[in-house]
Amino acid sequence: MRIIVCLKPVPDPKHWSRLALDPKTGTLIRGGIPSIVNPLDRKALEAALQLREKEGGEVITLSMAPPSAMPVLREGLAMGADLSIFLTDLAFAGSDALATSYIMGTAIRKLARYDLILCGDQTLDGSTSLVSAQIAEFLGIPNLMHVSAIEVQKSGVFHVRSRIEHGSMLVEMKAPLVLSVAKEINEPRYITLMNILEGEKKEIRVWSSKDLSLSEPWVGLKGSPSQMADLFIREAKRKGEILQGDPSEMTKTLADRLHRMGYC
Amino acid sequence: MAVNQRVKSEIWVFAEQRQGELVDVGLELLGKALELAHPAGWKVASVLVGHASEKALCEQLLSFGADEVIVADHPLLRSYCSQSYAKILGKLIREYDPKVFLLGATAMGSDLGARLAVRLRTGLSAHCIGLELSPEKKLLAVVPGWGGNVLARIYSPHTQPQMATVMPGVFNMPQEKEATGRIVPVDVDLNPEDVTYKILEVKREAGQEHALEKAEVIIAGGWGIGSREDWQSVEDLASALHGMVGATRPPVDEGWAKENQMIGQSGRTVHPKLYIGIGISGEMHHMVGIQNADFIIAVNRDPEADIFKMCDLGVVGDFKEILPGLIEEIREKLQK
Amino acid sequence: MDFKLSEREELLRKSMREFAEKEIPPRMEAMEETGEFPVELLKKMGDVGILGVITPQEYGGTGMGNLARIIILEEMGRVCPAIPMALQVHHMATYALTKFGNEEQKKKYLPPLAKGETMGVMAVTDPSGGSDVAGIKTSAKLEGDVYILNGRKCFITNSHFSDFWVVVARTGEGGRGLSAFIVEKNFPGAKPGRKENKVGLRGANTGELVFQNCPVPKANLLGHEGEGMNIAIQDIVEAGRPGMASVALGILNAVLEQAVKFANERSLYGKPINTLQAIQWHIADIYADLEISRLLVYRVGWMRDNNIRCDTESALAKQFACEAAARSARKAIEIHGSYGVMKEYPVQRLLRDALVTIPAGGTGEIAKLVMARHALNMFK
Repeated sequence: MRIIVCLKPVPDPKHWSRLALDPKTGTLIRGGIPSIVNPLDRKALEAALQLREKEGGEVITLSMAPPSAMPVLREGLAMGADLSIFLTDLAFAGSDALATSYIMGTAIRKLARYDLILCGDQTLDGSTSLVSAQIAEFLGIPNLMHVSAIEVQKSGVFHVRSRIEHGSMLVEMKAPLVLSVAKEINEPRYITLMNILEGEKKEIRVWSSKDLSLSEPWVGLKGSPSQMADLFIREAKRKGEILQGDPSEMTKTLADRLHRMGYC
Repeated sequence: MAVNQRVKSEIWVFAEQRQGELVDVGLELLGKALELAHPAGWKVASVLVGHASEKALCEQLLSFGADEVIVADHPLLRSYCSQSYAKILGKLIREYDPKVFLLGATAMGSDLGARLAVRLRTGLSAHCIGLELSPEKKLLAVVPGWGGNVLARIYSPHTQPQMATVMPGVFNMPQEKEATGRIVPVDVDLNPEDVTYKILEVKREAGQEHALEKAEVIIAGGWGIGSREDWQSVEDLASALHGMVGATRPPVDEGWAKENQMIGQSGRTVHPKLYIGIGISGEMHHMVGIQNADFIIAVNRDPEADIFKMCDLGVVGDFKEILPGLIEEIREKLQK
Repeated sequence: MDFKLSEREELLRKSMREFAEKEIPPRMEAMEETGEFPVELLKKMGDVGILGVITPQEYGGTGMGNLARIIILEEMGRVCPAIPMALQVHHMATYALTKFGNEEQKKKYLPPLAKGETMGVMAVTDPSGGSDVAGIKTSAKLEGDVYILNGRKCFITNSHFSDFWVVVARTGEGGRGLSAFIVEKNFPGAKPGRKENKVGLRGANTGELVFQNCPVPKANLLGHEGEGMNIAIQDIVEAGRPGMASVALGILNAVLEQAVKFANERSLYGKPINTLQAIQWHIADIYADLEISRLLVYRVGWMRDNNIRCDTESALAKQFACEAAARSARKAIEIHGSYGVMKEYPVQRLLRDALVTIPAGGTGEIAKLVMARHALNMFK
């Protein structure tokens, strides 16, 4: 089985206070903030590795990011991926979900043979949760989101459990397909010292726009249909009354207020 | 098969249904769409896709004010499948060229919207918490920006339809009134191969998933609660006030609270009459989920916590010194 | 000169931090209470490669080296300093066996240490010894094919959790009369003795080893007869002191984090105390102690990885980092005010932990002797 895992380097949330938005482009100014593997993408990779352990095959990670994200790809290889494809090009910068999916879909086409594409349900930074379904649409293959369990039924047939609003559903799907995984799917493994050494021997293959046959215009900031009209600060229209001082006094006041509002 | 009438509406709203029942967000969006469309001289259509249960649902949508209800009925549409649904809707949208297409940011809406945006090569603003129509009749979708108090208005100036998925609970349900709209059945051309997966089983999870969205009183806890043991006091306050328990992301990650209790950008959007946030700093990701609460009370020992800038009543103090007494006082008052 | 950690070392730090933050905290309360090492963690540490970081690959380790070891100990210590205390002695045993063991000994004893089947023990100190290594009285008399061991070893880390120990005993007179042995716990007459009850680094066991007419086969002599002093000193200098310094480094990391967190949260006179200069000076001192210690300790790791002698540098790193940990922990307590001496706040534990690092692996005074001897010879 050949599994492609979409691995997105995202700014480490521990440093989010240092993040800023470029007011002109609406894109992120990362300013030297270290990247980590998007946590749900790590779970997608873990799911892929577990499938490989059971079924055999190959796990390839696919990432689109600035060149500085290289250590994050190395981390994916250390976790156990066999090969990393790194899409990096100034022309890709500022891509919205549609453009990202188009570029990644095109890269996946170039890889030609694949059974399963795994993503995380959402990323820490964008949170649009669009890319998995959009890659599937570009490739014309089925997809499912919020996946909590994946089982190979027989060759090319998967039983997939997916969370929906009122519970979950079990779905039978055929390869090739795209799944995006939910938080509860697994707990990713630790990276061992041996893994780190093995990861160093594996290849990170760098592809730029020249390596992909991007025939449509959906690339980068200019090729993204979604644009930011403006940024604005939310108006505070709340009363903003603040109580300070003796805890038991405040407790009484609070109980009293709740009483007057009719809650007790 | 029905002979296709022309659809005239400029804004289409996906009327999501599950097991023959309309999902609230489809109605909330219908209400908002009507509010945006009518001053601009536009009309609004609800789009219903499925099989066999359509008649009653159409009536319902009309009673909530839809100018048109587009009905795509076919046995193969009985269960949701992103590819078959996207195929039908993609074709309809190409044929009638609406300006705006809106969906709920539910499991189904997010998935379907994403696919449609690719099929139609247009932009989609995901998980929006507000919608506006500019004087140039461009759809501006409000999405929370990075951290801080920043919101961004996103639009797709050059492509059509302009699409957005909107968080459930952001808009209010529209008022029911006398139906004046019409039903527009459309042809459905679908092959069994278009349904690319088979649903083997649907399991309902115990507990009311939507209760948090409907709750009048919500007590939410954050990272500041500190431990599973102390989380109990959040639960206790909620039960004293007959409210429900919500959480920010960290308590969910820590396992103190359940995933379905998470409020905010990647969780639920709620609009209770009373919200009490305990040990919550006020990160935007959470605050966008409670912006429609009528009254916000915050308890936090850090006087600099952002939540104090966004609340109606702030209590600067350690919840451990306040909650036990408060719960006692509330119980006493209720007994009287 | 390159002060940047490599991609490998950065990834190592990241994965070790994740391991430490997930695995250790749930066990810390029990460690503090009982003083016992969480043995069930050993296997996990073996699987992740923590135990075999300096073990050559052919004996089940990764051979990643001394700087890698320091980073691991620092990250474990940032969460709970008792853990790297136990680990560092485990590594000392590994180091001695790797450097002085013959092929058979390495094949037999290194893999179980790397895998976490047992813990490593380096037993040098006698009740009559300690800083005075030559004062060792535990005797090993050759009788036929076996050495007969008699005596007691005290303040031995991991004493009760190991299947075999590296033991230094007297086979002759004077400094050249010491030899090192690998003694298995199930040899007749060998057993762990009393368990100590330390004020800090609770969760790293310290205890005695007792030998009563314990026969040790000749094959278990480590290195040559009379090489014991050399083995002990090299192990202490090249593995023990950098190890202890790394424990202290871990403590310093935790101290700065706790101090900063508290200074940012706590308000007095209507504003956070981080605006007060008195507090800022403490913070600056702690920060400086952390950064200086890190430079010193990393340098020793780098020197060992490049096979450069490091006697003085190792002593300096150990002495400075351990003292720095103790004085910084005290400053952190002062920042906390009365909260600092309450058990709910970790700074009091960090001070207790720091105090225990000071005599371990060579006292501060011994380290200063080494430095002084070096300095006094500099301009000759």
